[in-house]
Amino acid sequence: MEAGTVSSARSISVTINGTTYEREVEARKLLVHFIRDDLDLTGSHIGCDTGNCGACSVIVDGTLVKSCMMLAVQADGSTVETVEGLADGEELSKLQQAFSSHHALQCGYCTPGMLMSATALLRSNPKPSEDEIKKGLQGNICRCTGYWNIFAAVKAASSE
Amino acid sequence: MTTTTIAPAQVEVEAPAEQYKGQNVPRKEDRRLVQGQGVFVDDVKRHGMGYIHFVRSPYAHAHISSIDVSKAEEIGGVYGTLTGEEVAVLTDPFFQISSVPGANLKDFALAVGKVRYVGEAIVAVVAETRELARDASELVEIEYEPITPITDARQALATDAPSIHEDAGGNLMWEGTYEWGDLDAAFAEADKIVKIDELHFHRFNSTPLETNGALVEYNRGTGQWTIHTNNQFPGFAAIMMGPAMRTGLDKLRFVTQDIGGGFGNKITSHPQLVACCLLARKLGRAVQWTEWRTDFHSSMSHGNERWFQDTEVAVKNDGTLLGFRTKALDDAGAWLRYEPLGGVIWAQVTPGMYRWRHIRLEFTQVATNKAPVSPNRGYSRMQHLWFTERIIDIVAQELELDPVEIRKRNYIRTEEMPYETPNGCVYDSGDYAKMLDLGLDLIGWDEREARRAEAASRGKLLGVGIGSTLDSGTNNFGQSRMINPELQFSGNNEVATVKLDIFGEIVVTLGTTPQGQGHETTAAQVVADILKCSWEDVHVRAGHDSYWNSHAGFSGTYASQFAVTGLSAVKGATDMLAAEIKKLASAVFGGVPEEALELAEGTVRIKDNPDAALPFMACGAIINANNAGLPEDLGVTLNCRYVYRPPFEVPDVEKKFGNLTLTYAAQVHVAVVEVDPETGYYDIVDYAAVDDCGKRINPQIVEGQVMGATAQALGAVVHEQFVYDEDGNLLTPNFYDYHVPHALDMPPLKTGNIESPSPFTALGTKGMGEGGGAGIHAVCAAVQDALRAHGGAIVADSANPYHKVWDMLRHPEETKKLVSVVDA
Amino acid sequence: MLLREVGYARPGSLGEAIELLVADDGARALAGGQTLINVMKARASSPDTLIDLSRIEELKGIDLDADGTLRIGAMATYTEILESSEARARPILGDVCAQIADVQVRNRGTIGGNICTNDPTNHLPPLLVALDAQMTIHGAGGERTVSATDFFLGVYMTAVGQGELLTAITVPAGRADGFAAVTLGVEGTCIVSAAASVNGGVRIALGCVDAVPVLLEPATADADAVRAAVRDANLDPPSDVHASSEYRSHLAEVLAVRALDSASENRVSEKRS
Repeated sequence: MEAGTVSSARSISVTINGTTYEREVEARKLLVHFIRDDLDLTGSHIGCDTGNCGACSVIVDGTLVKSCMMLAVQADGSTVETVEGLADGEELSKLQQAFSSHHALQCGYCTPGMLMSATALLRSNPKPSEDEIKKGLQGNICRCTGYWNIFAAVKAASSE
Repeated sequence: MTTTTIAPAQVEVEAPAEQYKGQNVPRKEDRRLVQGQGVFVDDVKRHGMGYIHFVRSPYAHAHISSIDVSKAEEIGGVYGTLTGEEVAVLTDPFFQISSVPGANLKDFALAVGKVRYVGEAIVAVVAETRELARDASELVEIEYEPITPITDARQALATDAPSIHEDAGGNLMWEGTYEWGDLDAAFAEADKIVKIDELHFHRFNSTPLETNGALVEYNRGTGQWTIHTNNQFPGFAAIMMGPAMRTGLDKLRFVTQDIGGGFGNKITSHPQLVACCLLARKLGRAVQWTEWRTDFHSSMSHGNERWFQDTEVAVKNDGTLLGFRTKALDDAGAWLRYEPLGGVIWAQVTPGMYRWRHIRLEFTQVATNKAPVSPNRGYSRMQHLWFTERIIDIVAQELELDPVEIRKRNYIRTEEMPYETPNGCVYDSGDYAKMLDLGLDLIGWDEREARRAEAASRGKLLGVGIGSTLDSGTNNFGQSRMINPELQFSGNNEVATVKLDIFGEIVVTLGTTPQGQGHETTAAQVVADILKCSWEDVHVRAGHDSYWNSHAGFSGTYASQFAVTGLSAVKGATDMLAAEIKKLASAVFGGVPEEALELAEGTVRIKDNPDAALPFMACGAIINANNAGLPEDLGVTLNCRYVYRPPFEVPDVEKKFGNLTLTYAAQVHVAVVEVDPETGYYDIVDYAAVDDCGKRINPQIVEGQVMGATAQALGAVVHEQFVYDEDGNLLTPNFYDYHVPHALDMPPLKTGNIESPSPFTALGTKGMGEGGGAGIHAVCAAVQDALRAHGGAIVADSANPYHKVWDMLRHPEETKKLVSVVDA
Repeated sequence: MLLREVGYARPGSLGEAIELLVADDGARALAGGQTLINVMKARASSPDTLIDLSRIEELKGIDLDADGTLRIGAMATYTEILESSEARARPILGDVCAQIADVQVRNRGTIGGNICTNDPTNHLPPLLVALDAQMTIHGAGGERTVSATDFFLGVYMTAVGQGELLTAITVPAGRADGFAAVTLGVEGTCIVSAAASVNGGVRIALGCVDAVPVLLEPATADADAVRAAVRDANLDPPSDVHASSEYRSHLAEVLAVRALDSASENRVSEKRS
């Protein structure tokens, strides 16, 4: 379909965690609903209606975004990373491991988004200070932990 | 530059440490959760399922003149609808806990005839996709006749107030008077009476990141509903839903796995669950409901908003507090769903942490046109404990007493534990003065004046405040009879089943519905310690399922109790299993006495001859598949179900006297704030949280919840408020306006702890998790301290956003006039 | 949370985009989506068609001319601005962008989207008024330039008309700028904001106190003169759950002085460096 044509549905091709999916979607479908409902990748979560909570955070073309504020059609041709892609087979990433050993999760609902934000942070800033960690996670709400253990987990993962 | 230091105090260990108890064993739940492999209710899918969207009221108070769903139903892909009219035919009103007048409420799954708060569900629309359900709901036509709403509880009982529930004859829902000791004598003995006209605890809740939801299937052939949900108290939901739906409770199968936070806010979803059940049956397909964030904020589970009016405190000149009387006005919102239990649950902590013996509280609960109230972390005790802490600081300020000295003078003393309160509750153990000292030390109390001067040089007002609180755990549901003597509830229970399978797998089934408290992990620790096996060999099933038949009437995860109820059940079941293993081995070894046997390294063996060992796998295999030749009366199944029952009596309903909770965890927090006097903006610049939760099976899991409760309390005192305009519109219906703490908001945190084991529990543990709102109490005290030399305003509200602090600086007289001191 | 049905196009050039906007008056430009998608989720506004600007090269880029003029493409994201070495020619831009919301929002939100939304609580409208920025607008009839002072017309309303697009924001180089705000939580939504610039005369722009930024040009940078200028503006700010009108008026005075003090400090450090 020509880019400049108006359409209310279109075919898109999105590569997520290394697998390319081709699907027909309505233009109005949010990227997070596409990931969760159309592709059954339910690791990314929804916690609010206003783009504030960050539970839906994923990495699109190397950039951390909230997938509830993108349309699926905007991800056509893009590469997306979600929490399901962090582990290498059975081996958890350093961050995933650190989250567990530092008790940086309780209910686990914010955790996928939090891990994606932490992953993006450490890619751009491998040795962040505590203030930089806070800034990097500012877009992710957690109601269980109070964040302190999350800061410790990211710090620990960054120094390995 | 911020730094966080965690500085645990030394734990007092009185017995040799067992292998897993007390260790920070990594959580079993983590592996799936960090990979996004948790199963939360919106993750569950069924072929052909319909998505529900609820049409909700835009009015706070209105008659419904007509509902027309025909245009919505005409849309292709819309499977059907449900209205209040249908619900009123198909179901009976929900059981009401209250006595008259609240007992007369007619509460259904959808609004019938009238709407009573903005956001109340009126019609359910079910369609093939989420979007279609949403689109079709806009075609539902509803006509309303608006009525004046009531949004201030203080106006609810005015003679000309519109009646929210005609069936109740007015807006009074429940009232009761509590009085213990001898008020007249106390006030006669007092040197001073401190009068506080009005204190207000505001409306907020814990906004778990995952909202309520369910996926419901109906089996037409068997009449069985399967309710995949994140309701955290299925025992309560079942007894509400079964009679209403005219079905036996076993037809309601509740299944939960991972739940994204509960904090009490996922207890009263039963009206929506009933709507889902009716639709699943009506439409012949599975139906799915995920609550929108906006709907959660506007319609579900607000914490009790409570006014304390006409408070009088009897005090001696030396700061000894003799007693108080007050009138508590509680705003229940539009419906009583778990209320009016809040009208008695505060009494678990009647005197707070203090030794006063003469107390009178008149409790009045009214309906308003706001979202219905339901338990919220610290349910009803937090409000009362905030109130007692405010009294301490207001009395201290008025009589110019030191806030540390007045607390130490009045704290219940460790040597008095177990301590019976004026209304017969028993505080099991604790050392509040020691916790206070730890907290003060952590934030440098002795240097506070130097710090104050330094802050002043930067134009800031420094304040230090103490917040002490209790987390009462394991309810005696007999207290409900003080609300309604006709109720047939008492005691409490929890169940666990532990079995040894055919290949020696140890499988634990809990009755609880954890939302992040690490039940799979701590249960495994307890089991492994008893069976003397590796913790990794203990498999704890995730979540809850009624079909596992490992639950009882009070099963669920709420009210700070798992470490007592859940783990005691686990211990009971495992002790049973251990005994059975020995009994089996005794028979297999040809009659060796059981006392000569021990469990070790995943086997049962003869103490004096360890080579004579039967691995668990052999035990499981024998009982399950190779049982010929065993003694006829062996009585071993290796499948042990245990119901824990805490030692409670039915309280004396007339005297309102009796033990209402089994354990009393405690927290003492100290906050240091800096106020910008030009703007009212303030920062928390230092913070210490000291906790005592009794014996801790997994210290990290306990600390995690202490920290989480702290963060929620800090959010509540500075930012989080459910505020309504005069038309009953909620002005903070989403995370944009209802600001919860984000990473940058977090102050540096120092922690400390002591362990006062409970003498009343099998493991010495105390229930914990709710926290009791210590952060709110501490910050209120700190702000009042900061303002003390700048007008001396009194903090009379639990909500203290910047603009209120600015008001207090400009018009201190507005709050000071609420307080007066008279000679007794 | 679920949008109404909408059409979507992703033109590759500015010309195409303008054509699409002109052809359909229910069409709306989609920049970073950090506001518009939320508005559509709430169904507060439901355009017929979204014209996704993300592939239009003419709208991208941050260029520094030889004479020190900074030209920022309307589709430059907050992250691009705060990471741009060119944009350091006017450091306040990156400093303020770094305070907006969070990393995820900054990675997609754009300067053009921020100012064309003109939500009274947005950071960039008062900032650009204080900096006396120039906005370049493209339409079917060609290109025109509007100064920031004339750009903001009302709540959610700007000088960009139907069938037009903001393409660039131009700002001269300079360091003597300041910004002060009281926000809902650290780096949260603004309750009141003030931006100040002392490159030449004194310019202070107040945010959150009216439908559009309120520009003050006191004769001197003296604190009393600034407060008098705020009072003389006869503000009547909105009252809402976060602040009363009176509180906003008070904050306006305090923050105007603080923004100006910050601007003056930055000028001093500019002279030193």
